[in-house]
Amino acid sequence: MKEKRNAADIVWTLFLLIWTVSILFPLIWVFYESLKTNREFFQDVWKLPQVMNWINYEKAWQGYGIGQAMINTVYYVGFSTLIGTFLTAINAYILTRLEFKGRKLLWAAIMLSLFLPGINALVPQYILMRDLNLTNSLTGLIVLDSLGESAFFLMMLSGFMLSLPKELEESGYMDGASIFQVFFRIILPLSTAGIVTVAIFKILGLYNNFLSPFIYLSDPVKYTIGVAMYQASIMMQYKADWVTLFAGLMITLLPLVFMYVLLQRSIMEGATLGAVKG
Amino acid sequence: MRASQGLGPHPTLERKGKDILTEMLIKERRLGNGWRKKEKVQKLVFILIGLIPAFGGYVLFTLYPNLLSVYYSLLDWNGINAKRFVGLQNFIYMFQDTYVWRALWHNLIYMITIPPLVILISLLLAYLLTSKNYKGNSIFKVIFFFPNVLSTVAISLLWAFIYDGTFGLLNAGLKIIGVDIGNFYWLGEKSTAIWATIPPSVWGMVGFYFVIFMNAMTTIPKSLYEAATLEGANHMNKLFQITIPLIMPIIRVAALFLMLGVFKGFENIMILTNGGPSGSTDVIGLYMFNIAFGGGSQSYGYASAIGMLLFVVMVGAKLIIDKFTANRSAEF
Repeated sequence: MKEKRNAADIVWTLFLLIWTVSILFPLIWVFYESLKTNREFFQDVWKLPQVMNWINYEKAWQGYGIGQAMINTVYYVGFSTLIGTFLTAINAYILTRLEFKGRKLLWAAIMLSLFLPGINALVPQYILMRDLNLTNSLTGLIVLDSLGESAFFLMMLSGFMLSLPKELEESGYMDGASIFQVFFRIILPLSTAGIVTVAIFKILGLYNNFLSPFIYLSDPVKYTIGVAMYQASIMMQYKADWVTLFAGLMITLLPLVFMYVLLQRSIMEGATLGAVKG
Repeated sequence: MRASQGLGPHPTLERKGKDILTEMLIKERRLGNGWRKKEKVQKLVFILIGLIPAFGGYVLFTLYPNLLSVYYSLLDWNGINAKRFVGLQNFIYMFQDTYVWRALWHNLIYMITIPPLVILISLLLAYLLTSKNYKGNSIFKVIFFFPNVLSTVAISLLWAFIYDGTFGLLNAGLKIIGVDIGNFYWLGEKSTAIWATIPPSVWGMVGFYFVIFMNAMTTIPKSLYEAATLEGANHMNKLFQITIPLIMPIIRVAALFLMLGVFKGFENIMILTNGGPSGSTDVIGLYMFNIAFGGGSQSYGYASAIGMLLFVVMVGAKLIIDKFTANRSAEF
């Protein structure tokens, strides 16, 4: 059905374009400013750089400690995702496909977390971490963020695992396989798609996590990328080194852009799936 | 996709006892009693190995601190000195603390501005993309969702650059269209700071709700719109008389979730202004955070008392949400 184009249509199209520009332009702007010298930037914020000053990226990587922060972030995100995703997978299986006493009670206790806002527990959690000697340590952060139950991810995966036919496990047992073999050889491979989605979301969430690294890490050498950028922006108030900060922000965004371009389909689907259940 | 899935009893686990019995008989016959016992032990070991790290961590790092926060809220304690039990004194002080009320007032401002803006913009964008076949619809979708994967730090820094008085994008843009307001620091002036912190939040959240609304809108049958067009309805009529009423349950849930998120969120404010200038953007979460972790003297007891206030408000609101969503659990 073809409709006539009228004034209202033009307004709507304009609205779409304005929103698109509001998202893309600031990012593009920061990118090309990051290639200027500070002098060029102070003179005119619109002009394109005359020479590409990739040196700003080197300065940000070393001077602002973005390089070290990136290594810390990879360590923190990598291990937390690996351990966390594995535990989520095994727990989703245990809590949804195995029969044992107390299963429902455990499930209810985990669902309770949907009611806890979390913010009121920040102080006691900090004291606990301090008493356990886990503060100011990336490994401590990994412990905090990978051991635990996430109602959201469990529901995401359990839906997946419930759709697998029961006969698969039964035939495994018939052939004399142990429960370990059934889980690792049959259930895990068949749930790969769901597990990958969980892992993607863990990576995004951990990479963007700011509050707990900010609370728990006090040594600048241990900062993750978010904390390092925040501290750099505070330092900037005294140094007026804008272009390097721009370069730092671009470095921070790069992994996210890369992941988003590659995986936008599953990210968009998974995110809205979470909204239904979370 | 049903929202209730995963919450209720699981169909496969609710199988009739008869099935399980026959299954067991088959296994007994095949494997004999010794095998059966070994299998049981293996299952127990598997369950323990799988559950202990995750559930133990959950109890230790989530449930226990939540319980402890009740106790801490009754203490006068700075984390170093000996704990002193003071009963409800923290709460009495809290209700007399003008900074608490000021912060709550700012929370209220955010709660009545950000959710409506997010919902309005995402509804419009979703409607435009579903009702018309623009070239590159999917590209729009990908771009609109993008801010949702950015961290609060990245979004806040980006907007700090936009708002900067001397070199910011906003003032430079205004100059181009002929509005020269000099080196006005949007985040540095008491009169504008709170309003300037709203757009970054809206900008960061629209993408998510846009996709949710768009998914909901694609389930509305095309024939409804066609009939309306034949009767001479324009886009505004269709949006307000067909689309919005049909996805109202989802809009309502979205509004409540947004309000809750805005109420407890404070990272963006912390990075943009840290509550300043002179407290004009302070929110309750940030006030609590700064009492506990900010510079100066710490008061874990008082911070926990404010945490309890947040807890009560959030849980109360959650219960209300569940009541709202129970009748029709948002089938997106």
